[in-house]
Amino acid sequence: MGDLVEQLVHGLTLGSLYAMVATGLALMFGVVRLVNFAHGEFYMLGGYAFWYAYRVLGLPYPVAGVAAAAATAVFGLAYERTVIRTILARTWHVQLIATLATSITLTNLAIIVFGTQPKEVPTMLSSAIAEVGGVRLAWQRPVVLVAAVVVFAGLEWFVTRTKLGKAMRAMSQNREACAVVGVDVQRVALATFGLSAALAGAAAALVSPLFNIFPDVGALLTLKAFAAVIVGGFGYVKGAIAAAFLIGVAESLAAGYLSYAYKDAIAFVVMVAVLLVRPQGLFGRRIGI
Amino acid sequence: MALFETRGLTKRFLGVTAVDAVDLRIEAGELVSLIGPNGSGKTTLFNCVTGYLPSDAGRVFFHGRDVTGVSAHRIARLGVGRTFQLVSVFPRLSALENLLTFLQQHQEEGVLTRLVRAPRVRRYEAVAVERAMMLLDSVGLAARASAPAGRLSYGQRKLLAFAAALMPDPELVLLDEPASAVNPTMINQMKEQIRALHRRGKTVLLVEHNMDVVMDISQRVIVLDHGQKIAEGPPEAVRRDPKVIEAYFGR
Amino acid sequence: MRALRWSLGGTFLVAVPWIVAAVAPGQQRYILHVLIFTALYGALALSYDLVVGHVGSLSLAHPAFFGIGAYTAALLTTEAGWPFAAALPAGIAAAGLIALAVGVPMFRLTEHSFAMGTLGFALVAQIVATNWVEFTRGPLCVTGIPKPELGPLRIATLPAFYWMGLTAVGLVGLLYHGLTTARLGRAFHAVRDNEMLASAASIHPLKYRMLAFVIGGAVAGGVGTLFASYVGVLCPTELAVSLSVNLLVMLFLGGVGSLRGVVVGAVAFTALPEILRMAPTWRMVIYGLLLLLIVIRAPDGLEGVIRHRSAAWRRPSSGA
Repeated sequence: MGDLVEQLVHGLTLGSLYAMVATGLALMFGVVRLVNFAHGEFYMLGGYAFWYAYRVLGLPYPVAGVAAAAATAVFGLAYERTVIRTILARTWHVQLIATLATSITLTNLAIIVFGTQPKEVPTMLSSAIAEVGGVRLAWQRPVVLVAAVVVFAGLEWFVTRTKLGKAMRAMSQNREACAVVGVDVQRVALATFGLSAALAGAAAALVSPLFNIFPDVGALLTLKAFAAVIVGGFGYVKGAIAAAFLIGVAESLAAGYLSYAYKDAIAFVVMVAVLLVRPQGLFGRRIGI
Repeated sequence: MALFETRGLTKRFLGVTAVDAVDLRIEAGELVSLIGPNGSGKTTLFNCVTGYLPSDAGRVFFHGRDVTGVSAHRIARLGVGRTFQLVSVFPRLSALENLLTFLQQHQEEGVLTRLVRAPRVRRYEAVAVERAMMLLDSVGLAARASAPAGRLSYGQRKLLAFAAALMPDPELVLLDEPASAVNPTMINQMKEQIRALHRRGKTVLLVEHNMDVVMDISQRVIVLDHGQKIAEGPPEAVRRDPKVIEAYFGR
Repeated sequence: MRALRWSLGGTFLVAVPWIVAAVAPGQQRYILHVLIFTALYGALALSYDLVVGHVGSLSLAHPAFFGIGAYTAALLTTEAGWPFAAALPAGIAAAGLIALAVGVPMFRLTEHSFAMGTLGFALVAQIVATNWVEFTRGPLCVTGIPKPELGPLRIATLPAFYWMGLTAVGLVGLLYHGLTTARLGRAFHAVRDNEMLASAASIHPLKYRMLAFVIGGAVAGGVGTLFASYVGVLCPTELAVSLSVNLLVMLFLGGVGSLRGVVVGAVAFTALPEILRMAPTWRMVIYGLLLLLIVIRAPDGLEGVIRHRSAAWRRPSSGA
């Protein structure tokens, strides 16, 4: 029983990670209708930024975390301004290849700059183990979950209470109407990228103490985040979050009870299964962030 | 037995009923127009009966045979030709090649004969080219046969799409707004083409907003509003029908 | 006239091992090695172009089919003692059958989802190759793959492998040409350029997408088999997703959808990095940046540039 609880908590931790990354992907698709195949690299860069701030500069954990999220956000803004802006009006083939090319470039640059050895960033919370009723967990895990909940609550507040957030939501529903009504479409697109990148960076700061940082971490993460977006219904952020947790728990249970080596295939299997049975996603064609 | 029939055809989108239990009956050789205010479900109906959209309820019959839910390419194969509201051609192919593409599935003989240029295959190609040139000539595009379709003007592309739809000699021709977004000369040309088509014995169903065209060439007019059929009859009768007037003006 | 050019070109290509031996004797081994890889990549790129360039399906699954063909042949020859003449068709068949099985669910997905689905499949294939150690030897690799023997013919020397590669790319080129011209080519292109209109022309989009996907996958499997027999060792890293990026670079730089363009792209992107002695990581950075640049600025690649230039030379056609 204790084993099951541990696996579930692991699954929820994973789910928090996937959900934060998937939210960024879903936001980008919702607001500017673009699929960013380099999204996992936001996480990777965030992870290295966190490592640098925490391990190399020696900043305290929360400061390092915020710094990582901020650095990733800046990168996201730069990426939108340079690459994304030129491909927004192009066909999805061009967008796919361009973002895929960016992904490969960033991954290999990371190998050159940081080397292939994974960077470890243990924190006090990841080394401290809690023992509750026969269940052993690193404190970091519940912290991740709580942080994720806080982040999502913050996002909901942002989208319903702030002008920028409301503009994002409006754009996801009807972009042309927004341009007509005077919404600064370009600014909103830019902000969306910054926000999505920050989410990935924050996720990296939260989760890197548990899983290490290495250059290819982005590839699998993009796939799993995408699986969550597809399963949740393209363009529906809350659906993506729910699907991400589902995938995280499924992966953890599969790793624990079926086979550790093939756990990464679970997201793919879930995605294909859902698509075959219910191609519009678990929650139907609901749009909206 | 009617050539083409729908019974209770229904299509819903996210809570909106775009096509609401529509019954249509088109006899062979008729020229019928489908009209209605914007958003009344005309193009959705077209897409449902030609296999591009699955319907939620009701049945579609062609030659008495139930073709509900049959995919678009198979409905085309059965002898239903259509044009699209947003004029649709193969931009990278020449006008001639565009037309040849529409006939080639009817000449299919298997992969092997395709890869080995057998004499029989070459004869088919010759016949196809002859028919294509004849059709291009009838719409006045013979001189542009080798021009890439993407470089033709909007009106020329409309005529090309029209000719292409006729290439496999379909019995039923569905035209989606043939007179829209073109100049008056082109409109007249289109009207003539449709009349000529009708004279040759084809059955034509068209969706159209241009009332002059509708009144001028149709034998019968069907009116949709909010997905429902609200009137049906000869053009003059429909024009004076109070329900129709209300649908268009009385909001 | 054309026949003469083809014969001359063909003779030259066949004579390359001797030409190289005469011109650069010390470098012969290295040059032939590069040329063999170029030929194999050329064949692989052509098979990929069938799917991406001619039917417009942006599949990222090609590395998996390459790997499936390679592993099938490698294991059949090392474990079951199969001769090459049987292992090659087995590799092609295995890749083709799996392409068929994977294609059915994949083609129910649209656009990005299809790309992601195929990417996922490629990743899973690599995961399986790496972890199913009892079967594939995982990271320890399949070693001792025997050199091909076709009856009395034993392909063991570099020139022999070069001719094998040349034959492969020649045959694939012929197949490519046959599939992409005349009515079949028109059907593929109709599905690529306007799927809705293709349906209205009685063309079954799924049938043609599957046809290109399965043939492309099967040929990739065949190339994988040849690759495994040449290198003699097969590791899961050969199924890396970055192979898709390499192929995309070849296609887009050379000219997607054009036989000459793809071959030029393959030559440029296999031979050049070798000649420049680029480290693999830097090579990928440059490929990535190049791909980004090409796809944004010149999506028709070199072929498009050449066609554009030659059209400017010719007089504009009459008949406005």
